[in-house]
Amino acid sequence: MSGQTAQRESDSLAERIALEVERTIARSIKGVEYIASPAPAMGASPRELVLKDGTLNLYHYHPMSDEIYRVPVLMVMATTNKGYVLDLAPGQSLVEFLLRSGYDVYMIDWSPPRADEKRLRLADYTDRFIPDCVSLVRERSEQDEVSVLGYCMGGVLSSIYTASHPGDGVKNLICFTTPIDFSQMTLFQKWADRRFFDVDRLVDATGNVPSEMLFQGFQMLRPASQVAGQVNLWDNLWNEDYVKSYRMFDRWGMDMLPLAGEYFRDTTKKLMWENGLYHGTLEVGGRNVRLADITVPLLHVVAEHDHIVPRDASKPLIELVSSEDRQEVVLKGGHISVAAGANASKRMWPKLDAWLAERSV
Amino acid sequence: MPDKPPLDPFAAWRDMVAQWEKNVNQLANKSMASDEFSGSMNQLMNVMLKSQQGVSEAMVKYLATLNLPSRQDLLALGEQLGSIESQLNRIALLLERQNRHASPAVARKTPPRTKRPLPRTTPQQPS
Repeated sequence: MSGQTAQRESDSLAERIALEVERTIARSIKGVEYIASPAPAMGASPRELVLKDGTLNLYHYHPMSDEIYRVPVLMVMATTNKGYVLDLAPGQSLVEFLLRSGYDVYMIDWSPPRADEKRLRLADYTDRFIPDCVSLVRERSEQDEVSVLGYCMGGVLSSIYTASHPGDGVKNLICFTTPIDFSQMTLFQKWADRRFFDVDRLVDATGNVPSEMLFQGFQMLRPASQVAGQVNLWDNLWNEDYVKSYRMFDRWGMDMLPLAGEYFRDTTKKLMWENGLYHGTLEVGGRNVRLADITVPLLHVVAEHDHIVPRDASKPLIELVSSEDRQEVVLKGGHISVAAGANASKRMWPKLDAWLAERSV
Repeated sequence: MPDKPPLDPFAAWRDMVAQWEKNVNQLANKSMASDEFSGSMNQLMNVMLKSQQGVSEAMVKYLATLNLPSRQDLLALGEQLGSIESQLNRIALLLERQNRHASPAVARKTPPRTKRPLPRTTPQQPS
């Protein structure tokens, strides 16, 4: 090692130590603030509840643009999670981005199902809730067509609905990280193995499947990540943006919803065990659901590092539909970061806008 | 020859944490993907459900002896309230629809649906 290089390294090390000392002081101050302050408010965009039917809530967001595209957008949230992940905070909200870009945005967001809603089946979601909402959106907007955007299981429900209700006026279908080939969700498959997993017993005993049980299932996919997340949080306590973002995602991740018992039984048997959506053998409400019956323009956004819905599980959607106008976008990021947060705002949202804008007139 | 990157123990520590997380997740996923793990996990769940059911049945009898409502009774009450709430929501929706048809000017608070996409060559910007 030359003398010059050694000098540079020693200077650099001294600078790094000085920086770490500064950060340690900042960590102590911010750490107290972190513990003392309440959780950040989320779901920031102004909205109005326009339909409530038990577990179903349909919200209409107030437009933020002087003129809007002709076709309204109906977002369908995953049944296990709350919709505020797509509306985290001003500047970090997909909903806000769409509103400012000139879209008329509605969202189906779910509440914990009531005890008597344990009887809700998959068909109640795809043949009642979504059609009711599409119909109301069409009526309120005085338009015949609606773009439907589904996130994760919301994408599954939207795909089933679009395939089985061809005359309902779906103009465009957008899916985020949507599983189709459930045999490729290897760990979930293993845990729900019908030789060991007695779904009937679980649903009969619990009614609605508790959110704690679902939360544990998701946590088990990456058991070390919670500890590593805490270590990284401590490391970045000096950084206000990091802490804010961590708290929002952490709160959302833990804020899971229970699932209606019969819906859980249906999805376990028909999707996990029989893989009916992939094989084209799925029956919902007495109708055969074939993805090949989807002919509307389709955009599927998938994440390269999705640990919940692996690439192989989401890939078949684009292959199985009959739409001439179809596009799959694979982006860097994970299951959540592909749709929400700072990276999504740079990567995915502009792509979504570019695709949707020309199909919304 | 390029210089070696300067020594940074803090970056090395962060790399170590990231590597630890990756290795533990990989190892755990591998062991959790076995029949043995799935079998034991579900067996444990069945035992828990059975004991929960036992406690629940005993509790119903106990509450009945004390002449107190059980969880089932409260759920039935909740179901009735839920049904009333749903009916009210339906009535509210019908009224809103009628109101909208009666005074369309009130209904059309939304901006005009005339927006067109920007030309492809121009970078897309929120308006």
